[in-house]
Amino acid sequence: MKPAPFDYEAPTTVADALKLLGSHEDARPIAGGQSLVPMLAFRLARPSLLVDLNRIPSLSGIEEKGGVLRIGAMTRQAKVLASDVVKRHAPLLVQALENVGHPPTRARGTIGGSCAHADPAAELPSAMIALDATMVIAGSGGERRVRADDFFIGAFETALQPGEILVALELSKQQGVSAFLEVSARKGDFGIVTVAARVAVKDGRCIDAALVLGGIAERSVRCAEAERILKEQGATPKAIDAVLAALPLDAVTMDSRSASAAHRRRLIPELCRRAIEAALASQVTP
Amino acid sequence: MIGQRVLRVEDKRFLRGEGRYVADIALPFMREAYVLRSPQPHARIVSFDASAALALEGVDAVYTAADLPASLTPIPCRIPTHGDMTPFLQYPLARDVVRFVGEPIAVIVASSRALAEDAAELVAIEFEPLPVVADAKAALDPATPKMYPPGNIATQWGFDLGKVDDAFAQADIVVEKSFSIQRHSAMPLETRGLIASYDKARSYLEVWGPTKVPHTNRAMLARMLGMRDGDIRFAEPDVGGSFGARGEFYPEDIFIPYFAIKLGKPIRWIEDRQEHFASINHSRECTFQVKASATKDGRITAFDVVLVADLGAYIRTHGDVVPSHAAASFPGPYAIRNYRVAATAALSNKTPSGTLRAPGMFEANFAREQIVDMLAEKLGMDRAEIRRRNLIKPDEMPWYVGTQSVNRPTLFDSGDFPGLFEESVSRFGWSTPLPKGEGPVRRGRGIVALVEPSGFGPFESARIEIDPAGFATIFTGASNQGQGHETMLPQVAAEVLGIAHDRFRVRHGDTAMIPYGGGSYASRTAVMGANAVHRAALAVKAKALAAAAQMLQAKEDELALDDGKVIVAANPSRFVTLAHIARVLTPGNAELVPAPKDFIKDDHDGLTGEVFLRAIPSGTAVFSVHMADIALDTGTGELKVERYCVSGDVGRAINPMIVEGQLVGGVVQGIGGALLEELAYDEDGNLQTGSFADYLLPSSHEVPRIEALVVEKAKSISNDLGVKGCGEIGISGVAAVLANAIAHALGTGARPTKLPLTTERLLDLVEPGS
Repeated sequence: MKPAPFDYEAPTTVADALKLLGSHEDARPIAGGQSLVPMLAFRLARPSLLVDLNRIPSLSGIEEKGGVLRIGAMTRQAKVLASDVVKRHAPLLVQALENVGHPPTRARGTIGGSCAHADPAAELPSAMIALDATMVIAGSGGERRVRADDFFIGAFETALQPGEILVALELSKQQGVSAFLEVSARKGDFGIVTVAARVAVKDGRCIDAALVLGGIAERSVRCAEAERILKEQGATPKAIDAVLAALPLDAVTMDSRSASAAHRRRLIPELCRRAIEAALASQVTP
Repeated sequence: MIGQRVLRVEDKRFLRGEGRYVADIALPFMREAYVLRSPQPHARIVSFDASAALALEGVDAVYTAADLPASLTPIPCRIPTHGDMTPFLQYPLARDVVRFVGEPIAVIVASSRALAEDAAELVAIEFEPLPVVADAKAALDPATPKMYPPGNIATQWGFDLGKVDDAFAQADIVVEKSFSIQRHSAMPLETRGLIASYDKARSYLEVWGPTKVPHTNRAMLARMLGMRDGDIRFAEPDVGGSFGARGEFYPEDIFIPYFAIKLGKPIRWIEDRQEHFASINHSRECTFQVKASATKDGRITAFDVVLVADLGAYIRTHGDVVPSHAAASFPGPYAIRNYRVAATAALSNKTPSGTLRAPGMFEANFAREQIVDMLAEKLGMDRAEIRRRNLIKPDEMPWYVGTQSVNRPTLFDSGDFPGLFEESVSRFGWSTPLPKGEGPVRRGRGIVALVEPSGFGPFESARIEIDPAGFATIFTGASNQGQGHETMLPQVAAEVLGIAHDRFRVRHGDTAMIPYGGGSYASRTAVMGANAVHRAALAVKAKALAAAAQMLQAKEDELALDDGKVIVAANPSRFVTLAHIARVLTPGNAELVPAPKDFIKDDHDGLTGEVFLRAIPSGTAVFSVHMADIALDTGTGELKVERYCVSGDVGRAINPMIVEGQLVGGVVQGIGGALLEELAYDEDGNLQTGSFADYLLPSSHEVPRIEALVVEKAKSISNDLGVKGCGEIGISGVAAVLANAIAHALGTGARPTKLPLTTERLLDLVEPGS
């Protein structure tokens, strides 16, 4: 469990990091290292150069400006979890983070690192999709912005191109109440099924809804039909029944020793119902 | 001192990160080893080419079986077994065929571990795959190709006691069920490791890292290498856990020392976690088919059991001891005379098996205690009541079950089973109603009773030395993997000698300091180690009193020990300190032994005492009750253990805090075995578990506050201190009690019969047929 040989650089600016990434084939950025370091130890990842992003100050921080919350990609998960402004602005992110790992992993793990790693069972990609986050990417040609739903492509696969770095996540103020629920083997493990639910009710009408499943397929699955029903029919008990009948159970492809596809399928409606009910019952007002 | 909750003296260094483990030791000119292991479950090695690896700068050698002595035997089985196991023994390095993923093929020695791993990638091995025996079921199928000329079954045996068929014919009720226990093992947080260094000119081989049974393993190494015992030193550093799996004579235990001799430089090998999963002895995997009968008033009349254990690819040092214990002890704490068991030890292309804390008992309890609940359910009887009616009574002690395991009779020397049972039930509040479940949550309560053997092993030794400053050193033949011996053994000696506890040091696990040692296993250190220390302390005391009587011009029976002094009881101002006595008894000192005029003679031999104690083969039996409340989410299959109480009658608790710690730690480990842990293989024999991301250990979230009830009702009648071992009762009943609580919560007759109890399996029980 010793990594294959690699070179190591620790730049202090994004520009230098991009230069280094562009200069080597198989160069790879490293953020908090909570996934990449074990992959290096197992020799599942064999970069020729590790570009350590931990010493670039501009990549960390939480800032609210003009109704948009910008979270630097290198901001530690623990920082985000403890942030009052995040709690006010995007409670779903906090609710998701409560299910991510443990205090020691969150103290090191970063918000952007988890997104860029794109483990199909990770919580943060689902939360980003449910919050309609914008992923800010820096490359040699400058910055570009990608919607979260377009950023996450497959298992460990994102819209990031070689030589690019995820530099920040931008979140508009969360519309509606939310909940994040999951079933996992142990608290803090990746979910067997995760559900991010967000419902915005105004004057008895559902004006916005997001329902995102994780842990069931190559990437998080947005339940478009269920969201449409919520928006059309409102978050009534009858509508919720219709929502549960319209879940994309066919999307389940994950089938493993720890949980079969059938088990994941039967958990989905139960967790969705609970998540929607928990969101509606939550005291967090938008 | 005995009975006091003394804080563990060893914890200071562990908590400060000052422990010195084998990986903390380094020697000049030391090289690092990497063991190249088979990626194939069953294959012939067609070719092996290490030339590219050897060309790498910094690589010293790539050793294979061809580099070991041609006369080397396979690793012997050191425990009596049922029949001849020689056809199934493992050579330290694979010769022409590999039989499990993880079997050592070669050893790469280099200037660093990372470089050795780089070199390993350059070794080219061509395999010709052979048919795989995936599990015991396949092993038992006559159509499956044979792994060995005699076949895929290592051995079969059984017992047929009383009149089982008559009991079933006459029974009012009969129940029947099959149970399966998954393969899992010990996960000490410190993996194994060895450093071997050879002084060729003096013919002295030193090995750091061996633990559990260093003397036994040193003798095995000496025999296999044709060396003298006295030319080998095994030294135990601090050890981060064993749980039964760390004392086998593993392949590495021979080839690391041998290659250090061959290379002429010290070699360090530190097992990494990935190889630990494939190379530590696996354990537990077995199935029970159980049939039981009872009268309508709840008297259990017979057990009929078919036990099949999957021991993996080879028989190693522990032979078939795990299913052997399970078969011998299946009837548990109940007075049952009609018992039949047919046991099979099967072989498969998986890592070989050995012991894990409560070997065979965790498994047997899981099956038996569910069957007892099934009898109660069928009779409409309270589940505590059926146990109450069948427990062995104090006046029936000693109780001989009628079986043997590894040539030892299954014998319970003493016990007040009903006494502890009633105390446990009342303490827990067995009859108080469970809180109602909210929404989809259903609550359940479980109870199990069990008996664990303790104190096995032929002998133990202890030596106590008091130095001329009045400090005491205990040399124990018990080894230490974190259990608390450095605190507990001085408590025993302090009780006898009246020396303050903190004036003791304990030395252990070093064959250069300790001529004979039994080691630590089978919950034996309190039973054998502490009793040896107790008698050694008595020997020191006798010596001190004899010397003091001369020094004080008093009779021995007028003297007493008090706070590091020998006093004249009637006049405490007349005294000599133990330090003074130790100075007087120093060899060469003229006091009491004047120099001879014309012929040499025996001298003082210090204020010391040395004892060797022989054990009772059947050990001493410990009774325990486990009770738990659980909440099962019937919508998700999630299980929460809400309350857990474990009790044990340990005869006498030398340090109640350490005993409670053993019980609580055992329960935590048992929760892992019941709910989470599995060394999983696919049907082609590939190990699926390679890290703690997929081998799940319990965390603080999965573990409730555990109440430990330690009582001293029935002292052991077979040792001076009256102690019984406490290391294994904590884990032994966990799967059983959680299963019974889950079945109670379900209330449908459905039962968890397959471990581990994942959310998926639990939800299957809620929704049968889904």
